[in-house]
Amino acid sequence: MADLEASKINHDTHLLLDQPLLRLPYELLRKNFRSARFVTEKDAEFVKNKLAETAKGSLDGKSQPEDVVKNLDAMIARMRGLKRKLSTYADEETKLYRQVDARVAHLRELSDMHTVEDVKYETWSRRRLDRLMVDYLLRHGYNASAAALAEERGMQDLSDIDAFVAMSRIRTSLENGSVTEALGWCNENKKGLREMHSNLEFMLRCQQFIELVRADSPSKLNDAIAHARKFFPPFKDTYPTEVAQMAGLLAYRPDTEVEPYAEWYSADRWMRLAGIFVEAHNKLLGLPSFPLLHIALSSGLSALKTPACHGSQPTSSSRPGHSTSLTTSVCPICSTELNELARNVPYAQHSKSHVENDLLLLPNNRVYGKARLEEYANKAGLPSNQVKDLVTGEVYPRDKLKKVYIT
Amino acid sequence: MADLTGMESLQKALAQTNSTHRLSSAVDNVDKIIELLTAAREQVAGALDPHTTSLTITKLQNPTKSAFDAVHETMQKVSTAHRKLGKALDKHFPLKPLPSDHDAMADHSALINRAIAMHLLREGQFSVASTFIEEAQDDTAHDNPYRRTQPEGTPSVDIDEPMDEDDAEASPSVAGTSPSDGQDLSSLQSQELQTRFSEMYSILQELKARNLVPAIEWARSNSTELETRGSNLEFELSKLQYVWLFKGPAINGLPDDENNGRAGALAYARKHFGRFQGRHLREIDRLAGAMAFASNIPASPYRDDFAIDGAFSEVASSFTREFCSLLGLSAESPLYIAATAGALALPQLVKFITKTRTKGTEWTTANELAFETPLPARMMYHSIFVCPVLKGQTTESNPPMMIPCGHVLANETLQNLVKGTRFKCPYCPLEGQIRDARQIIL
Repeated sequence: MADLEASKINHDTHLLLDQPLLRLPYELLRKNFRSARFVTEKDAEFVKNKLAETAKGSLDGKSQPEDVVKNLDAMIARMRGLKRKLSTYADEETKLYRQVDARVAHLRELSDMHTVEDVKYETWSRRRLDRLMVDYLLRHGYNASAAALAEERGMQDLSDIDAFVAMSRIRTSLENGSVTEALGWCNENKKGLREMHSNLEFMLRCQQFIELVRADSPSKLNDAIAHARKFFPPFKDTYPTEVAQMAGLLAYRPDTEVEPYAEWYSADRWMRLAGIFVEAHNKLLGLPSFPLLHIALSSGLSALKTPACHGSQPTSSSRPGHSTSLTTSVCPICSTELNELARNVPYAQHSKSHVENDLLLLPNNRVYGKARLEEYANKAGLPSNQVKDLVTGEVYPRDKLKKVYIT
Repeated sequence: MADLTGMESLQKALAQTNSTHRLSSAVDNVDKIIELLTAAREQVAGALDPHTTSLTITKLQNPTKSAFDAVHETMQKVSTAHRKLGKALDKHFPLKPLPSDHDAMADHSALINRAIAMHLLREGQFSVASTFIEEAQDDTAHDNPYRRTQPEGTPSVDIDEPMDEDDAEASPSVAGTSPSDGQDLSSLQSQELQTRFSEMYSILQELKARNLVPAIEWARSNSTELETRGSNLEFELSKLQYVWLFKGPAINGLPDDENNGRAGALAYARKHFGRFQGRHLREIDRLAGAMAFASNIPASPYRDDFAIDGAFSEVASSFTREFCSLLGLSAESPLYIAATAGALALPQLVKFITKTRTKGTEWTTANELAFETPLPARMMYHSIFVCPVLKGQTTESNPPMMIPCGHVLANETLQNLVKGTRFKCPYCPLEGQIRDARQIIL
């Protein structure tokens, strides 16, 4: 039967939505490692040099034992600092590995299920919805809700709360007019950003310049020029127009209406910077540009939607307000929660009719399956030669019904 | 044995390569360096003479060098372990594209928020729901469109705000459509919906503990609505209560008094079954008849009525269904169904997008999807009629028509078949008059 085919779980394609679940901790592992290597190399370099220098001084007889002790103390302090930092990175790594294991185990559970009718599938799919919701909440900055849901469902290892909270902290700082945090982030991710040709750092540097010019005082203007000399040269080939516009900005006051300068001065730029940052962040970590729930919904709403879902009259296969207990489940698209959301998506394509068995036409032009009509008549306590319309409640004698043939 | 799924292979690969090369080893390496340095410092500080100092420092060089080499080596091994993980991912869980060009849901955060809030409520996640409603309202209050991945209309009645024209046209009326996230959610907060769901949960809780009384009380106070729906819930619950009492204290754990056991069941039946006599006389007779076989029910013809293993979960699910229906909601969370259907249909969508990417076809703009997304029958909620001639679904503007022989055709098909006022059925020898065709409602 065709239905068996539709209920089968295709293990190759069923986990499309779940790719970021494993990719993200992997990317974070790499990122965490790069930071760890960076601090290690820096501190190792320092101590190695210091030690060589100390040895030389001591052998040459130039430095006193007291100086050597002082140097050793500096080296020890540096190494203790490194140990502290490395421990933090090591803890993060442990957490990420734990997450990878938990996630692989969770995704692997699906391997034991072969059809969506499997009772275990519902549990699994509910967990997936919980994950999609946490992802949605985090992307919208609803961090407390996300944390609460993850905790309630015991799925901290399946959610990326830390990563997104860090992101929303930087986003908020941009929205509040501060570039420091975002620049720090650019610095940590220099290589990746360069590889994906992100303009984020340049835009942040422009914003710093704009703010100095906006202050409109001689000393700040000097700072602005110094800033431009320091930071703009590397960008002048990539963004020649913008760099020229920055220079031009010096000639316009913040209240100018001349474009593009008014645009550069606009307070909205902070919001745009936040947007650029979020985009760069998601791209860098291989995250889709919009919440996974959006992807699931746009595909799911369409697959479920029928032309009847936004029709003007209740169909015989019914909707909440008109349902009887024989309509075992109400259409999710017709339900209050999703009806409006589904209004503008296309409806599903079908190449085969899908109707009940033994259809009967009532005199009011409504069509029902024989079994349902009989059961309803029975429950309504009607005599055996009568039936009752499941939607309108009209009662008809059985001999007024006509058979309907669907080819 | 069947082939391993990607995830099974991945888990295996991870178990095999699960090396101990972790950053924590580097911490141990660094600890060694600290020990070396500290020991040297003690020696130098203890002696404080140039000879010991230069000797100590010279002797310190090699061990520190190899300790730093060890750090370096560890870092390399850690990195290799990461790369292996990356390779295993690429091999067993290769990246497949997701639809990323166009977000059909981008402008509907308010509606999605509402759907999530309702989902949380119906799942009984009341505290998460209230945290969420608060946070989402706060967000709306700050009126910060860039909070979203893509800007959307601000919730205020701002006329300057660019409005999606299609959107405005297509949804002219429905209250709570667009204007405000906040409004929608606050209506959820203040509305009785939350109270109702917590009522539902407390009744379900009791059912789980095999206490039918609150459910029966609820069914009784809503008996008119339930009857209109053709629901037998109240009787089903009462019947189970009778059987439950009949089983007696040894099984139901209720106090061993005159309200329990067979006597209790009989008393219960006398008191409550009267109202069901009209509709359920036969069943009541059976239940009463079972009294005669009380000593040996399992061998009696009544054993099925008294097998209650699945009965409690059955009444619990029909209770949930009826409760939600009376609220105008489906029993299963629409958000859950939609997300599950979404995952099932996604491969088709991705296939389509990949194929048509070069042509720039937009899959979200047409009325009907350009590809099929087969779902299990359980997820088909409406009758679908595909006209056998037209090969397309009927719609409100092209409705199904039944012709006198009982065959059904789409209206457009019928109009094409008509010659003058007559037509011939494509499936049987019947010829008919167009006026005899009737539009039917499936």
